[in-house]
Order: sequence, then C-alpha cells, then structure tokens
Amino acid sequence: MDRQELMPQVRRSPEEHEVVVVGSGAGGGSAIQVLTEKGIKVTLLEAGPMLDPAKEFKEHMWPYDVDHRGAEEGGAAYFGRGKSFGYFTTTSGGWQLEGEPYTVGEGSEFQWFRSRIIGGRTNHYGRMSFRFSDYDFKPYDRDGLGTNWPISYEDIAPYYDKAELFIGVTGTKEGIRSAPDGIFQQAPPPKAHEILIKKACDRLGIPCIPNRRAVITRELNGRPACHYCGQCGRGCLTASNYSSSQVQIFPAMKTGKLKIIDMAMAREVLTDGSGKVVGVSYIDKRTRQEKRVRCRAVILTASACESARILLNSKSKHFPNGLANGSGVVGRFLMDTVGFGLSGQVPALEGLPHYNSDGIGGAHLYMPWWLWDKHNQIGFPRGYHIEIGGGYGMPGIGSFHGQARRFGYGMRLKEGVRREYGTTVGFAGRGEMIPNNHSYCEIDPNVVDKWGIPVLRFHFKWTDYEWKQARHMERTFAEIIETMGGKVTGLSAAEREKEGISVPGTIIHEVGTVRMGNDPRTSAVNGFCQAHEAKNLFVCDGGPFVSNPDKNPTLTINALTWRSCDFLAEEMRKGNV
Amino acid sequence: MSSANEPLVQIEDPSRRDALRSIALAVTLVAGGQMKLEAAQHVHARARDEKKKTGSYAPKLFNDHEFKTLGRLAELIIPADTVSGSARDAGAPEFIDLLASQNEDLAAVFTGGLSWLDAEMRTRYSVSFVGATAEQQTAMLDSLVEAEQTKRARAALGQTYEASEHYRDFRSYGTYGAPGLGPGVAFFGWMRKMAVDAFYTSEIGIKDVDFRGNATLSEFEVPKAAIDHALKHSPFAG
Repeated sequence: MDRQELMPQVRRSPEEHEVVVVGSGAGGGSAIQVLTEKGIKVTLLEAGPMLDPAKEFKEHMWPYDVDHRGAEEGGAAYFGRGKSFGYFTTTSGGWQLEGEPYTVGEGSEFQWFRSRIIGGRTNHYGRMSFRFSDYDFKPYDRDGLGTNWPISYEDIAPYYDKAELFIGVTGTKEGIRSAPDGIFQQAPPPKAHEILIKKACDRLGIPCIPNRRAVITRELNGRPACHYCGQCGRGCLTASNYSSSQVQIFPAMKTGKLKIIDMAMAREVLTDGSGKVVGVSYIDKRTRQEKRVRCRAVILTASACESARILLNSKSKHFPNGLANGSGVVGRFLMDTVGFGLSGQVPALEGLPHYNSDGIGGAHLYMPWWLWDKHNQIGFPRGYHIEIGGGYGMPGIGSFHGQARRFGYGMRLKEGVRREYGTTVGFAGRGEMIPNNHSYCEIDPNVVDKWGIPVLRFHFKWTDYEWKQARHMERTFAEIIETMGGKVTGLSAAEREKEGISVPGTIIHEVGTVRMGNDPRTSAVNGFCQAHEAKNLFVCDGGPFVSNPDKNPTLTINALTWRSCDFLAEEMRKGNV
Repeated sequence: MSSANEPLVQIEDPSRRDALRSIALAVTLVAGGQMKLEAAQHVHARARDEKKKTGSYAPKLFNDHEFKTLGRLAELIIPADTVSGSARDAGAPEFIDLLASQNEDLAAVFTGGLSWLDAEMRTRYSVSFVGATAEQQTAMLDSLVEAEQTKRARAALGQTYEASEHYRDFRSYGTYGAPGLGPGVAFFGWMRKMAVDAFYTSEIGIKDVDFRGNATLSEFEVPKAAIDHALKHSPFAG
C-alpha cells in the first residue's frame, strides 16, 4: 500500500526498525522494558512530548508558593477549566484535548480521558494494583453473562509475579479468593480513621485489608523507598511509585535499544500487498507532516479506544473494515468501571490529636469484594471493591467550601472548620459492568481532528446490572459510616456522581474494544494479544480485555504485556514474526 | 518517628530534604539524560519568588474603596482570634484582585457585587459598607446567609435522595423569605469561598487547621494517642 505518489509530502524513513510501540503508558512502558531487556530494538511513537520530572513535578510545593494558590490563572479552577486533577498534579491529559475532539452518539454520555506525554496516564493514576481473581477470567461460566477470556489465572499468574516484583506493590497475604495474593512490598500501618473503618467493616462482615498500591516502601532497583508525603499524584521526584515513564522508559533509554519519537500522532498501521503489517504512519505534530516508520512488528499500546481508532482507520484492500477487524468486534464491548462515592462526618475523629497522615498517597486499607458466592441473594451480577478517603489532607482550593456553605461566616465558620478538618471519611465503589451492545465506539464519518485523522464516536449505556450495583454500594457505604457513629453527608456525593452512578468514562478504566479470544470470528486478538489477521501486530493495552473486573486494569495490562512480549520475542527468534 | 507523648511538630530537616532531592536528581539524571540540576531547582526558585509579597500591594483591578471593602469582608468571613490572623491577614484581597484582574467574568462578579453591596447598605443605613458600624455590617451579612440557606433548604426539599440526614438538616432552616437579595447571595457566595480558599491555603491558615504533612519521613507511623482518642470516642469503645 504505497501512497507515495498521492501524498508527496510523506517522508519515509529509510531506517528499518525492529519493533514499533505506539503509546507509552502501562502497556507501552512494559513492552519497552521487556523487549529492550532482551536486546530487541524498539522505536516508541508517543503523541505527546518528553516528560521532564525535575521541571514539571510540583511535589512538596505549598499552595502559597504560587500567587493563585492552585486556582490557576484567572481562577480557572473555579470555572471547571483548571487541570483535571488540580494545579499541583503532574502533567497528564484530560477529558478534552485542544484540537483532538471525539463525538458522542445521540442519547449517550461518555467522557474520554487521554494523555499526550511520555508515561501517559501512569503519571497520575491511583496506583491501585489488584490481581484479577481466577473467576474473573471465566465470567460466562459463572453467570451466563459476557464472555470467557481465552486465558486463565494460571496463564497470567507468573506475569503478575514478575510485574509486582519489578514495579513494587504494597500488600499482605490474605487468602481472599476475590483478591489473590501477590508478591508484596511491606504495607504501611492503617491511619486512625481507617482503624475505625476496619472496626465497622469487621462488624458488617466486610473484609478490610492493607491496600495494594504501586509504591515501594523498601528500596528497589535503585529507586529509593517512599518518603510518605502522600503526593503521588503530583509525580514523585524519587520515583518511589510506579509510572512507566520513570520506572520503565527512562531506564530503557540508557540501554541504547530505545528510540523515542515524541509528538508523533499515529494515523494508521500500514500493510503490504499480502496483508502483512510493514509499519506505522504518523503525523509529526511539530511540522504537521505525515511520516512513516517501517518495522518487523507493531505493538499498539495507545489505550483501548485509541488503539481501536488506529485499527479502524487502517483500511486497505485487504482490510476494508479496518485492520484486525474481520470479525467486526473492534470498538465493540466498550466498558468502564461502575463508580459511586459517598462520604460522612465522623464525630469520633473530632478533637483527635493531629498527626501527619499523608502516608503512601491514597488509603492504606481497602475492601475487596466479599459477596462472590452470594449473587442469588444480592440481585445483581459481579462485584466491586471499596476505596477509602480521609485524613488530614493538605488544604487546597475548595477544601472547605462545604463548611463555608454550612457555617455562614465569622468565628462560627472558623471554629467549624477547625472542628471538622480531618473528620470526614469517603468511600468510592469501583465495580464491574457487563459488556452490552449499546456501549461501543466507531469512526465518526463526518469529523477529523486537527491532524486530519477521523475521530471516534462513542455510544454508551449503563444497564440495570450497573444501577443495582451502585445502589448496593450506596447502602453499604451508609452502613459503614453509621456503624462508625458517623453521619452521611450525601449531597456532595450525589452531585458529584450524577444521579447516583459515575458518568461513563470518568473512572478512566475504559477497556474491551479490541477483545481477545480463540475464535477469529468473535475476537480481534488471541490470548497473546496478537492479531488473528496479522502475526506481527499486537495490541497491549486495555483493548484486549474481555471483561472489566472490579480490579483496576493497570496491573493486568502490565502482566498481559509482559506475557505478550515474551511470546513475541520467542516468535521473532524462531522467525515466525 | 515520634513517640506518642512527644508533640508531633513537623520540624523540617533540611539535610534530609536535600538528601532526598539529590537522590531524586540522581534517579532522573541517569534515567532521562536530559534532566538538569537547574531544572530541578527551578521549581523551588519559582516558588520562593512567587511567595506572597507583603507590605504595599497595589491592586491590579480594584479601586481603593473596593479593595478596602474586600479587606473588611475578608476579616468578617474569617476573623482574627487568639489562635491565628484573619483572611485579610492571609492575603484574601490580594488573591481575589490577582485572579479577577485576569478574568473578566470574575471581575464582573466582584465589581458588580461590591457595588450592589454598597447600594443595599445605602438603602438600609445611608452609608457604604466600609463606612457602616460593625453591627450594621454583620446584620447585612446575616440577612444574606439567611436568604442563602432558605434558598438551599427549598432546593433540598425537592430532592428525592433520602438516605442522607443532610437534607433534614436543611429543613430546619425554615422558610424565612428575603426578596431582592439574590444578587447579594450570589456575590457573597463567591466572596466567601475565595476568602476561605485564600485563608486556608496561606501559611496562617495551614497552621490554623494544624496540618502536619508535606514532610519527608523514613517510616510512617500513627501516634497511639490519635488511635486511642478515635477508639475511645467511637461506638467501638470498651
């Protein structure tokens, strides 16, 4: 498929690359790490710029270190136009990117978070690192809904081990079926409010265990241990938490095996007359020129929906529906996580002698799903885990708006803030949705982005399964709060989680759009994330997920990618790729 | 780090911080190949430069009368007491002036709101807000807060969400009506939230709530006194 004559501006690089990786998040970072360690030369195409932690990370800054205190220029944060997770968080992206739109079908709601920077969303993510359970890989066998994965827990377990050992994950051995044990870094002790939450959970029969987060509490591979500032979201100057940028890509740069082409927006995967993948075409954002890299194999790790977009835009005589899409499943089975949050004020925490509760960033405890054998009683399939908020956070813009509204002004307000500061606890449910026919993305036939690349159009619907689950979350959280002697402060949660369930896309766990399977008629890639239609094409992000268990997807992306790259390296050695 | 009996004062240990910073630099330097020492220091130099300039501040947007009114409102919203200073001391008027000078919408909220406030004060007391007595000023703010809470109570009654006690709280505010105060309620909402933000993001406010974090620790521990207090006051006591 040579368009040289039609597009004279296309620059074709004479260099032959071994493996081209598109995107640098959890999948891209892991692919780069695994392949370069094996001596394979990798070229990375990243749609954003290089990350410079020393310049960009705002770790340890106080709000008063900037005149706008974090409200940003002109008070942008007050108008919902500030950075996605606040001024002090690290550069990561957002739900709307200038010049790179997406559209949403009539009657649907979906928000698509994208990163355009080395490290992608791993720069900011919550770092919850949960293994899928054995039953998560065979959901259809349990309740007749969705589809089984072509792989089992036993296939991926050794790669969970490798990933946990390499990136570092806190935790403890618990023997809970919904939350398989891993190889853990020492977990920090619970905070004062978490001790009360655990007591409440004990009474209610809910397991409440040390959190599993990608933070190291002991030195690992030259990375110093966490210094407990709790500011993971700002980017960690000591790289004591996992981000693909600092933990996988920067070290790989030293090997001489990695070439980074940044500001490179992938347009399509190129194939030759026989249907074999031969390279990738991309737009150089700095010059707006289309360029091409030729290679032996391509790994798409652009994020589930972006990888689907690239495949759907890779149309040719051989692949009229887009590459790897003979089955028509690319873009289908889009899933996000079911989210609901509720908070409460706990009088037992009033008057507590204050202490530094920052810790490892995020909670030190969490609650894995506990009703996996009670589905006939609870009235909905699948489950959720619970994440905890609370403690003495660094005051910032908006921290005390609730008290401002309730306490009027004057000494009543000042004393009210003193009394209530640090006495609020929050709970966020993160649950599994069932893939459905109304939730998918496709190419919008009428819209291109500023690079001329056709954009995605999203369709999405929660069904009764998800709504029932969200209501169960709400009842459970209220019970925990009341068991602690606290009082639900529901209004803000109801406002935030519009109408009692998260807006699709806003949990940023979108997966499933390039799903794996054994049957090329119903899946795009096989159990090694290798395209059925092209042996030298892999998709290693959330795309291949067949279901979206109540475990945040990143650790499984790390492990699946590791497994796929072991397989790819072996296939290259054998000459099959 | 500290035993239960020791006061948990966060003393910044510069040598520890510097050590961490050099570790950080070592990591990023060897890794990225393009991280420079100057770049790392840039953040902190900028932070120092941008620290609140005290003393004579020349408002960028507001005239002297408006700026004075902002100051008075700020100290009424968060007053000084024996523990700490006021929102005015914490730089609230400067904070509002800076952001409003960069944003026409925000500027309109404040210039319009301040003008409304003076007009209302003249109608009631024949004097501007800053010229009025403390009693007249607080009577004005009280009526705005009352109108605001009535408005919210009405909105809350329309909610169907019943799991929360919160809504019942609002009902107790009653149905006192205050026609014509809408613009004042909206302005006061902005004034208060920005004064509160300015106060609690200042050194004064952060100390006032006794925040002890943003430190570098070698181990994380929770003092026994904190745990004991929480348990003792909880339903799990005894």
